[in-house]
Amino acid sequence: MFLLALTNGLVIGIIYALAALGVSLVVGIMNVVNFAHGEFYILAGYFSYHFANTLGMNYLAAMMLSVGLVLIFGMIIEVLLIRKTYGDDLYSLILTFILSIVLQNTYLLVFGPYPNKPPNWVKGATNVFGQFYYGNQRLAACGAGLVVIAIVYLMLKKTWFGRMLRATSQDREVAELNGVNTTALNMLSFGLGCALAAAAGVILSPIFPVTPTGGMAVALTAFVVVVLGGMGSFWGCVVGGLIIGLVENFGAAFISSGYRHVFGFIILIFVLLVRPAGLFGNREI
Amino acid sequence: MKKSMVCMVFVVLLIFIGSAGFVAAETLKIGVVGPRTGTAAATGKSFTEGIKLATDYVNAHGGVLGKKMEVVFEDTAGSPDKAASGFERLVTRDNVVMVLGESHSSAALAEIEVANRLKIPFIVAEAWADPITAKNYKFVFRAGPSNSGVVNETIAKWVIHEGFKKAYIVAENTDWGLGIGKLCEKALNAAGIANKTVVTERKGQDHYTELAKIKAFNPDVILAFVYGTGLHYFVAQAGEVHLTPKAIILDGAGPPSLWPDFWNNVGDYGNLECLVSSMHKDVELTKLATLFRKNYEKEFGKAPTDYKSRSIFDVVLIAADAINRAGTTDANALVDALEKTSLTVTRGQVAFGTTKGGPEYHQWMPPMLVIQWQDKNQIVLYPPAGATGSLKHK
Repeated sequence: MFLLALTNGLVIGIIYALAALGVSLVVGIMNVVNFAHGEFYILAGYFSYHFANTLGMNYLAAMMLSVGLVLIFGMIIEVLLIRKTYGDDLYSLILTFILSIVLQNTYLLVFGPYPNKPPNWVKGATNVFGQFYYGNQRLAACGAGLVVIAIVYLMLKKTWFGRMLRATSQDREVAELNGVNTTALNMLSFGLGCALAAAAGVILSPIFPVTPTGGMAVALTAFVVVVLGGMGSFWGCVVGGLIIGLVENFGAAFISSGYRHVFGFIILIFVLLVRPAGLFGNREI
Repeated sequence: MKKSMVCMVFVVLLIFIGSAGFVAAETLKIGVVGPRTGTAAATGKSFTEGIKLATDYVNAHGGVLGKKMEVVFEDTAGSPDKAASGFERLVTRDNVVMVLGESHSSAALAEIEVANRLKIPFIVAEAWADPITAKNYKFVFRAGPSNSGVVNETIAKWVIHEGFKKAYIVAENTDWGLGIGKLCEKALNAAGIANKTVVTERKGQDHYTELAKIKAFNPDVILAFVYGTGLHYFVAQAGEVHLTPKAIILDGAGPPSLWPDFWNNVGDYGNLECLVSSMHKDVELTKLATLFRKNYEKEFGKAPTDYKSRSIFDVVLIAADAINRAGTTDANALVDALEKTSLTVTRGQVAFGTTKGGPEYHQWMPPMLVIQWQDKNQIVLYPPAGATGSLKHK
């Protein structure tokens, strides 16, 4: 049971980190808490399902196309809705909350109430350490999650675009004085945040089929991870995701599986009491 | 000239308002509560289908009190607070004479308090928790399964009938899941069948930890009281960890195993899964059941799968029958009429219990079946009188 809790905690933790990265990016750069984050995750899952299952596309092409479409959709949302709220955090909070409800009901109307699952990339399960069987799709999703996290890290640390993002995150005015077009950067950042939610959606929907209201749980866990790790911190997301994944799994294994998500909240409260800004609490990404 | 114009407009308006009132009075409103959004929104879809067929049927047979019957559906999203306020809106805003429906026990437990306070007859369709009728409220009825009825009449008897020696109960942390889990423990203990229970979260997606605990017990059968998408996750993951098909899973609710995407979501791991249901095309207890199936196929162009569409159909017919027999919309008269119900619906002959003191009060328990998926075909296993095949397992 210990090995299973450890393995599953790490895998689920990576997945949580991936889902939280988009939230962290948008908070760090734009100071916008995107309540509709989970709905972008779900939208990508639906796109992926319909491209692969209904249109018969290759699953990899379906995933890439889904992420691309959600990126564009996110940028459009930024231009039409979010841009007007800059300077007042409360407005963007309320706006994304309403957007979340509108999107949920739209999904229900368009896609129906039943859970939809894109095809698995791999089938079957692997016997881990001769102790237990673990789904191959989960292992593949964990690997894909690590690749996406590594790409985001390299983009932030090694590219000119990443340097602009970090500069804007640290001091928006100084970044503007140095020629950074922060309006365009906001649009790209919001789109990228949505695309990261979409990446999590297409990676996870073969394991956890999507439903119209399924995004709420995703967004809630992502917020817990971001707050635990520290708002806007890349490493905060990764470490926060792993901590929540491990705590939930060990709690479910050795205390009670009926309160799996409560354990994460308990750890969050404990960490915030000791470090109110989170584990890696600063605005740098 | 101007005066006469004003008078004419006034008269036209009066006629319009009068005729609108006349039209409004030509219908009699009944409320339905149920989830149209949330994790069990699929039930709302089934309810909507059943309501359409039921209103067509009732209105084609003379309506209620000489008027057309109109159903107003209030979404409860499976949430107790929304359920209570939705119920109250139906009574105070829409002036419904009776409320029907619901499929979440937690929501129904909130609604029965409002029904009791507002003195409005409420017939529960598919919320199974025993306390709904065990509270013995005068205005609360249930024409559908109860936890104790399903466990004692169907699940426990089936487990004994199949000769299972070890059972594992998986209960989601809701009024329905915890309640039916406890009743199963009690029934299995009385039958001398070794059993264990694990509680899981209602909205939980990952069941690997629970499955590892179950696998260590090496059960013959897993009684899964997990509703909605969670059931699909559970079945798929049980297959991944090689728990099934050696152990047989029984879906203790039923509909999620009948949803359109079930096979896409669980793949081959769905084969040999068992489920509880009150509907099967080869076990139609009344002529109305056959008529329902035919009308459903005609209206929606597919065969009915989720039995909750037929449950709400029955409940609407029970309500219409009671109103017509009462000859009035007075709540006390409706309760009297409901208590004297003797009506044949799709699931058999309805008669509500009138003995106070337990969950049997104002309860009618329809017969339930245990069905197994065998190569994507539904085979009825229990009761033996209705069986269309026998249990397969590896």
